[in-house]
Amino acid sequence: MSDNAARRLSRMFYRISIAIEAGKDHLSDLDGAIGDADHGITMSLGFMAVNAELAKLNLDDTLPSEVFTAAASAFLDAVGASTGPLYATAFRRAAQALKQDECLSAADQAMIVEAMTTGIKERGKGQRGDKTMLDAWIPATEAAVNARARSAGGPEMWNSILEAAEAGANSTRSMVAARGRAARLGERSLGHMDPGAASAVIILRAMKDTFGEGEPAR
Amino acid sequence: MTVKTSSARKNGTVRAGAEAASEPIPLRYGDDPYVWACWLYYEDHMTQGDIAEIMGISRATVNSYLADARARGIVNISLEPSRLSSLSIAQELKRHFGLHDCLVVPSDDNTRPLIDRLGGAAAQALAKLLKSGDTLAVAWGRTVLAIAEQVSVPGLQDVTIVQATGGTAASFAYTPELCASAIAGAVKAKLINITAPAVVSTAEVRDMLLREPLIQSQFGALAKANKALFGISSLRPNSTIHTSGFFESVSLQQYLARDAVGVVAGRFIDGQGNPVAGPLDDRTIGISLDMLKAIGLRIAVAGGFDKVPAILATLRGGYVNVLITDAATGRGILNADGVTELDQKLSQRPRVDNTVALPSNYRTHIKKFLNDPNDVVEEMLDGVVKANAAYVMPIKGSHRALVARTGPRPGKVGLVVGGGTGHEPCFLGYVGKGLADAVAVGNIFSSPPPGTIFQCANAASGGQGVLFVYGNYAGDVMNFEMAAEIAAEHNIEVRTVVTTDDIASSPLEDKEGRRGVAGNFFMFKIAGAACDRGLSLDACEAVTRKANARTFTMGVALEPCSMPQTRRHNFEIGPDDIEIGMGIHGEPGVIREKMMSADAITDRIMDRIFSEMKPAAGDHVAVLVNSFGATPMMELYILFRRVEQRLSAKDITIEANWVGHYCTSLDMVGASITVMHLDAELTELLHHPCDTAVLRIG
Repeated sequence: MSDNAARRLSRMFYRISIAIEAGKDHLSDLDGAIGDADHGITMSLGFMAVNAELAKLNLDDTLPSEVFTAAASAFLDAVGASTGPLYATAFRRAAQALKQDECLSAADQAMIVEAMTTGIKERGKGQRGDKTMLDAWIPATEAAVNARARSAGGPEMWNSILEAAEAGANSTRSMVAARGRAARLGERSLGHMDPGAASAVIILRAMKDTFGEGEPAR
Repeated sequence: MTVKTSSARKNGTVRAGAEAASEPIPLRYGDDPYVWACWLYYEDHMTQGDIAEIMGISRATVNSYLADARARGIVNISLEPSRLSSLSIAQELKRHFGLHDCLVVPSDDNTRPLIDRLGGAAAQALAKLLKSGDTLAVAWGRTVLAIAEQVSVPGLQDVTIVQATGGTAASFAYTPELCASAIAGAVKAKLINITAPAVVSTAEVRDMLLREPLIQSQFGALAKANKALFGISSLRPNSTIHTSGFFESVSLQQYLARDAVGVVAGRFIDGQGNPVAGPLDDRTIGISLDMLKAIGLRIAVAGGFDKVPAILATLRGGYVNVLITDAATGRGILNADGVTELDQKLSQRPRVDNTVALPSNYRTHIKKFLNDPNDVVEEMLDGVVKANAAYVMPIKGSHRALVARTGPRPGKVGLVVGGGTGHEPCFLGYVGKGLADAVAVGNIFSSPPPGTIFQCANAASGGQGVLFVYGNYAGDVMNFEMAAEIAAEHNIEVRTVVTTDDIASSPLEDKEGRRGVAGNFFMFKIAGAACDRGLSLDACEAVTRKANARTFTMGVALEPCSMPQTRRHNFEIGPDDIEIGMGIHGEPGVIREKMMSADAITDRIMDRIFSEMKPAAGDHVAVLVNSFGATPMMELYILFRRVEQRLSAKDITIEANWVGHYCTSLDMVGASITVMHLDAELTELLHHPCDTAVLRIG
């Protein structure tokens, strides 16, 4: 069985699902502080649905872009909520960016992160500093773009992506929410990490682990 | 061993330290009370209460010794490796294929044939899954018969077993008739056979038979099945499907030539689980694959290496949601689907020990009426669809999209409402004549997805456009906007009114940013009446906007709510605190204050409402005093009493009022007060007749 790109992406979603599952209670607790305490449940539900949908694909005969498209519909239909449209749009943008690509090079991986962030920004009409998942995704994208500009290899790129995302998520503690339900809390949202930013870090870490393992030695 | 008198024990101070125990430790345990406690518990099988007596410490300390002993590795609890591995395979299968449940029989137990072990496991599972009142469709096969031989489910009432396919003239022990009757006998259920052959000579004969009233009624029973039990047959040369004589071998070859890999309930599927067309299709009498997929719980029992492709195809096709197999087959399925390495990595994952020692009387969970917490929404909707059958029906079989039975009609603007669950009777209780035409239902406190909302728009559309009315939350806005885009592609014009009645959620200058809460009740009523009167889409939208602008709500929570999945409070409100400006999602309020009297709370709310509403003497209003879930009617009337006093003191007339559970937040303790400032038009629409499960006027 060849380890093609679609298979790698399917494994990536599988890893994300496991990681989200492991962090489910923590995410829900973070959400309980400033939201309705269901972020962990929602994310877990969404990625479980993605897994079930990808299991139905014949991965030997599937383009990476098709994996993202399937993931988008499965996630959206299972979740709704606000994370549904946001991540569904992110996955759709990633699918559009990949088009017919089949190799998933480091540059492609950077493109995926960038496209996902664009999708989330578009759908949520949000920006950096709103205390949302974008506070992890935007710095992650900047790190990816920088790494691509200096032709950094995969491992180096992913290290810097994750570092930036973690720093970004941590910085949400000192922000006042501007979007989502937490926005109604005003200054009471201070001091709490945004659960969406926390789950973004989990997702990016699982992506790093997946792309990291397949990196050819140079 | 000596036992101290209780009076002496009560004086002993207890700490989780080694020296704290008031009873000298018997020599053989060294100076380690942990070892002592563990010995008494695990080797002498004493209760924690008895151990506390003997050691002269409290039960809570015993409990914490036992927990610490596990954390420190003094006690290791080990599962037999083969059982552990079958457990982790089951967990993987469940996760990977999104199954409802999965049971994997350990593989290294070779004392009995696989088919018997699978049958035994499935018999146990069936005893757990089969409930009174169920209708179980039973397919045929060696495995199914093995289940029937081992199952016994006492104490069930009103269970019906329906044979899932027609019968056969072939002479083997596990014919459809025998399988169904054996299961029915074992669980003492009513049996309904399909009294026609499974495969007939021509399509004409099949059609004739299906028109027979007797067979029609048998199929009617089959269509009512809420659970299904079946085996999965491989098409490999050594498979019994070839030798049984159930199918003609010529036909089998044709299905094989078209890449069929397996047979489920007498139907052929390919490697991806898609139906394979072939010569028997229109000569087969039995459950169709679509009928099978529509059944809620679909239990497949199958094992053996040769069946891996067929089982994988069944999983991919979504025909099964409870799989019972053996460890070797389970591993094979995962391998075939490319999850080998992860499987290994998973088993090496370090275990996280969540054991926290708590006093024995400490409450960690809220009690709720639940079966599986993950099924709450589906099970509630099952109940709603039945309970409110006079008012609503599912759209295309989905309980997530409900349409009014006497709602949509040509020439009328359609009204679609919706949102997350947990607010019942909002939103689904307001569907019916003169109110909403359709409702889209999401997960708990989560917006429904665009697809569901579009189904509602489509069903509600009478050619004059559709009005969406929903609360202002980021998730709902995104999903309803996406649904409106899909509707536009289908030439359905959609207008949207996002409700923003919660005056506590944002200051007046950011009125558009406010959330929609219990005031939805009034906005839905006004919009529904406008639509029912045949007003244009423009007019319906305009009057709903006016209702929204003139409706003011503020809520107060005394205790938080708890999600069914966690059964814990989402956050804590201190013993003497209340949350003012509470929303309907368990999100914290805007200000936390000390508890005060009912009148003082009502006054806080009414002062704020008056400051925005700016009423004049002689004005008319409608009032809603709404419970957040756990606050009783008694207290709601106390609040209403004060609301009425404040309004009449300003010479304002209450045109209509409602007191009760109208827009809740699970089991939150608290209430909200809503006032709609009426004018002539709103008054008229408020009194317009409507007939729904929760609200009936006229």
